[in-house]
Amino acid sequence: MSFASMLGGLTKKKVRFVVVGGVAAAAHGSSRVTNDLDICYEADAAANISALASVLAGWRAYPRGIEGGLPFIMDDRTLRNAPILTLTTSEGDIDVMDRIAGVGPYDAVRRHSETISALGVRFRVLDLPSLIKAKRAAGRPRDFDHLPELEALLALRKTSKKAE
Amino acid sequence: MTARQTAVAAAAELKWMVNSAALLGRPIRYNRQHAKWWGLVWLLTEQLGLSLRAAAAMATVALGGGGSSTRITAGADPSGSASLIIDLARYESIFLGNLSRALVHETPRRRGRPARRGMKGDALTTAQHYGVDLGLIRSAIARTPAERLALLEKNAEFVREMRKRTA
Repeated sequence: MSFASMLGGLTKKKVRFVVVGGVAAAAHGSSRVTNDLDICYEADAAANISALASVLAGWRAYPRGIEGGLPFIMDDRTLRNAPILTLTTSEGDIDVMDRIAGVGPYDAVRRHSETISALGVRFRVLDLPSLIKAKRAAGRPRDFDHLPELEALLALRKTSKKAE
Repeated sequence: MTARQTAVAAAAELKWMVNSAALLGRPIRYNRQHAKWWGLVWLLTEQLGLSLRAAAAMATVALGGGGSSTRITAGADPSGSASLIIDLARYESIFLGNLSRALVHETPRRRGRPARRGMKGDALTTAQHYGVDLGLIRSAIARTPAERLALLEKNAEFVREMRKRTA
């Protein structure tokens, strides 16, 4: 149960995704601890949806916050019809979405992302300015509460780049 | 559940739900059962082009059984030549996915513009006023992304362990 196993599992099955949310914020320097991995996946390619659905089914994904034992079929049809899912899995909690508020669908998210190597995996994370836009667009109190830290991070990064 | 959460769980537009409730003369309630019913009505009207009244009647038949059948014949012509079968197991899966999203993500939004704390335009002062430890941020910037995520993994594991112990 870890981010490393989830990221490793997704890249091993060649799922095209960009890490967004708390893990992306931590990659940029945020000190907030998050327990779930948020990803934006490419939803235009049927093969990618199948690959992601297959990984999630392998992890026995089930909707988070819902009592257990209800019929839930984790396959590509479910993912196509409910493209934003908040799931709990054997590997940890994961939120999958086909678009990010304030940024756009996967293509736009990918354009505003950068590749990093961490936890033994190479993957893409949403860049800091887009992460701020996404938090602002989400409009929830917990997102607004995160903004001062992220904006300070951006300002400090800019000043440290200027100094270099 | 809020009105917005109900609409997200139903994967329907809130305005459509309110207008349809008025047309059907049916009071609208923001809860899980109603979201499930409205979701099916929306699907039957928007995807299959059924009239609102026919869709409402079929959704009531399909969800009112309470049995263990996963496929329900919600409607059929008198000769039995044409029928509408609803795959309840599939619908339940999609509904549960949307319901989870509604409960986890669609928490009430802050009304109006976000409050600006500290000096306008100065991100560092604003963050300090807000209680952000700039020293912590500076030390995080000095690390590589790999080091930052390794630290997050360690901290997240600690939080998970603590939750397990206190559960």
